[in-house]
Amino acid sequence: MSRDILVLDHLCKSFGPVEVTRDVNLVIREGERHALIGPNGAGKSTLFHLISGNYKPTSGSIRLDGDEIGGLDPARVNRRGLARSFQITNIFSGLSVAENLRLAVMRRYGLQFNFWRRVTHLRRVNAEVDDLLQKIRLTAKARSIAGDLPYSDQRSLEIGMTLASDPKVILLDEPMAGMSHEETEYTTDLIRDITAGRTLMIVEHDMDVIFTLADRITVLVYGEIIATGTPQQIRESARVKEAYLGEEAG
Amino acid sequence: MLKKLVAVIAVLALLLALPALLSESMLNASVQMLIAALFATAFALLCGQAGMLSFGHAAYFGLGAFATVHAMNAFGGDGLLPTPLMPLAGAAIGLISGLGAGYFSTQRTGTYFAMITLALAELLHALAPHLKEVFGGEAGISSFRMPAWGFEFGSTIEIYYLVLGWTVLCIALLWGLTLTPFGRLVLGLRENSHRLKFLGYNTHALGTFVFALSAAFAGVAGALQALNIEAANYVVLETQVSTAVLLNTFIGGAKVFFGPAIGAAAMTFFGHVTSDLTRSWLLYQGIIFMLVMMYLPRGIVGEILARFRGEGGAVNPVAVLARFAGILVAAAGFVMAIELTQRFFSTDYKAARQAGGWPAVEFAGHMWAPFAPLTWALPIVLIAAGLGLVTFINRREARRQEAQI
Repeated sequence: MSRDILVLDHLCKSFGPVEVTRDVNLVIREGERHALIGPNGAGKSTLFHLISGNYKPTSGSIRLDGDEIGGLDPARVNRRGLARSFQITNIFSGLSVAENLRLAVMRRYGLQFNFWRRVTHLRRVNAEVDDLLQKIRLTAKARSIAGDLPYSDQRSLEIGMTLASDPKVILLDEPMAGMSHEETEYTTDLIRDITAGRTLMIVEHDMDVIFTLADRITVLVYGEIIATGTPQQIRESARVKEAYLGEEAG
Repeated sequence: MLKKLVAVIAVLALLLALPALLSESMLNASVQMLIAALFATAFALLCGQAGMLSFGHAAYFGLGAFATVHAMNAFGGDGLLPTPLMPLAGAAIGLISGLGAGYFSTQRTGTYFAMITLALAELLHALAPHLKEVFGGEAGISSFRMPAWGFEFGSTIEIYYLVLGWTVLCIALLWGLTLTPFGRLVLGLRENSHRLKFLGYNTHALGTFVFALSAAFAGVAGALQALNIEAANYVVLETQVSTAVLLNTFIGGAKVFFGPAIGAAAMTFFGHVTSDLTRSWLLYQGIIFMLVMMYLPRGIVGEILARFRGEGGAVNPVAVLARFAGILVAAAGFVMAIELTQRFFSTDYKAARQAGGWPAVEFAGHMWAPFAPLTWALPIVLIAAGLGLVTFINRREARRQEAQI
């Protein structure tokens, strides 16, 4: 039995009188691929923002590998070993692909306030960048300006940057949003490849992707978890069917 | 790489040889051009590389100047801080004040950041006249350059080499900075500070530090100015100083490393030449800035580099020359119209009219009467002909490119 890497305990978030996250209890196990699904406005992104430090929880706790991370700022959460991607592509558009990854890798080597070394001579950092380029299949485009890449390549880069800090837990927020069928298949494959042996939490609307990728699925409706289980269990759950049917009827 | 090295050596050799080639007055102008170039390069670290538009860099330039004059008076150019090392006083005060100002202003971005920098600089500018001990009131404070290390520092040539040495050293350090991890993170700050945060970086510390470094080098520029004129007055804290460095930076090209320095040197030279010739030189400076922003948004150096990289298709030298000629003709027309208008509306002209009638005024060696048709027809014809030529060339080039596709 693997250990619990990320534990959400009675987590709540309100914006004024609006409760967006209601008493969420969830345990993510080390090494699993965990999908978060639910209708629009269910609070999936909010939950990601809470975990990654973008929002502070109103109450409850978030523990990463036993340490409380609820309420820490995003930079600290990242340094504790949790990295995320964004629903809207969030890269350094004006810099080259390799430079994007290098900025993402450098942090782990404590190279924030370094004025004396040349970036081109950082052997271990650059070796890691080359490795990442290969993993996200962008070696040939290493010197292209990131903002000039096709959309799906930008998404791959985004995933590569998320991976670069060698996190214990990766959160991917709708990595396939706006992709064609072929691109989605390509990216699903990529995600499966690069998250092997890591813990992944993913928000995605494409059910085919979810059911092929996820080990377990959590369904969120109106800020509450209504079910957590294997893809098989979720498919057969009456509550889930009801929630989704209700959504379609409404 | 080799080409770049040759270019740098050639420029350095030219700068070293300048005192032998120029008159005293032009050498003085060169000193000011060097100081403006360093100031703009320091400013561009913050504005071009880190993407934070400061409207208050006069504060750090000015503080550097005042600190240096005080240091000159305190040390007498000897002991711990001999004359050639005086700019260190400017760097220190720039760094310290930059850390303070940067800590507050980098908590916000964009317009809010710009407003805070403006407010801090205006605060200092408003405060300065009241702190007579520090800023010397209306008269400012003055000092003398003392001999040190076997140099008198009395002649323009000596001060030129001192300023050249510091400017080259500082610009080289700023260039070196762009190659380091910190320098690259500064670019990341400009491109997407939000993402940087989620990669685990402390963006506020990063912003504060780049602000402080920019202010420190601006302080060195201010120190060199104080050394040059052997005085400092609170006019160095004026908004105009902040805007001038900003305009120079954008005219040269904020995002290319040598753009700001070249832009600042060019505009300082332009000011030096035109301020003797015409009262409207600030107007021309403003018009140049507007035209650069409209037609060369990456700045003059930025656009030239982009052409060299082959963006915007192959360059046809004949078309470039023809366009240039057209622009010159139109500019001549504009200058004539502006100069004549300025003369006819001047107080001198009002006085001349007391004698009765509408006397003619002098421009370019000829007399022009206010109601003579030629006085206004000539500039209009020049403007029309110049712009017509440019339009004609543009259309022909567009057709040619279409035909190639």
